[in-house]
Amino acid sequence: MNNDCTQWKDALPEAALGDRPTADLERHLAQCSACAANLATLRARRERLDALLPLAVRGPGPSAGFHGRIMNAAELAGRRSRTAWPVWGLAAAAVLLIVLGGGPVLRWFSTRTSPDAELATATRLANWRAPSDALLNTPGRDIFSVTPRLGESYPQFQTDKEKQK
Amino acid sequence: MARMETEERGASFDERVARNQRRVFQIAYGVLGNPADAEEVAQDAFLQAYRRFPSLREAESFRAWVNRIAFRLALNRRRGQRRQLARETNWRATERIETIDGATHAETSLLVDRLRNEIEGLPKKLRLVLQLSIVEEMDAADVSAVLGIPAGTVRSRLHTARKLLLEAMQ
Repeated sequence: MNNDCTQWKDALPEAALGDRPTADLERHLAQCSACAANLATLRARRERLDALLPLAVRGPGPSAGFHGRIMNAAELAGRRSRTAWPVWGLAAAAVLLIVLGGGPVLRWFSTRTSPDAELATATRLANWRAPSDALLNTPGRDIFSVTPRLGESYPQFQTDKEKQK
Repeated sequence: MARMETEERGASFDERVARNQRRVFQIAYGVLGNPADAEEVAQDAFLQAYRRFPSLREAESFRAWVNRIAFRLALNRRRGQRRQLARETNWRATERIETIDGATHAETSLLVDRLRNEIEGLPKKLRLVLQLSIVEEMDAADVSAVLGIPAGTVRSRLHTARKLLLEAMQ
């Protein structure tokens, strides 16, 4: 390679990769055996590279049962989604029933009583009397109707009735 | 009625898997470099495609979609693997390597290993284009669809990647 050859240094790999050599490069290659040999070496290396690249990148290919495994997994996924729908559907329907129909249903249940029970309830209501004051009148009741003054406490405190005594 | 529909769907999907499985596997393998991982990723991609199958009835849309999803899943897995520092051994997974031009098996294996290291050393944008372009049945348009870059960019990056490898494989 002489000084003239250095200007073709970048063009040689391009030519080896398949680019058509320019007319100037072809003229140079016709005259320069070193560059022609260099190009031949690069082309041989490129051929080898092209043969090795698929081995390096593509790999051995999927295994024998690969297709079957995918189909099984797809079928399983499909079955899951089919069985999931009724379950979710039933759950949603139950929630809807509770939200929308729960009130009237509960009311219906609560009002559904026999005539005898209704009569007994009515009688109980008719005979009901409010508790008399006597029942409410408990010892010490007066103490809670007044408020002790500052410095006094409930144990020392005397109600008006006690004062009168 | 629903059962017939499911069976029909299964039959169409079966046919799509048969047509695309090799390429999808290779896309994943190109990124991961390990057959077992590549199969898992390819299977995940097909399962996702199965769930969306009603909108992927067209053969072309199925093909483009499954290519893209396999590539993304593989990239995600690779990121995870990197974190686990498991990558180094993956490339050396046991596999059958055919001999080239009468070279011995051992010699070819060494060359392939060396080439894989060189590919790993390429800038990411060049490496991904190269890995996808080498996959069978993937032209520049397919690669551009997967990566979301113009087909012209795919071609120029592929050329640069091959040139760098040619210089490296002296």
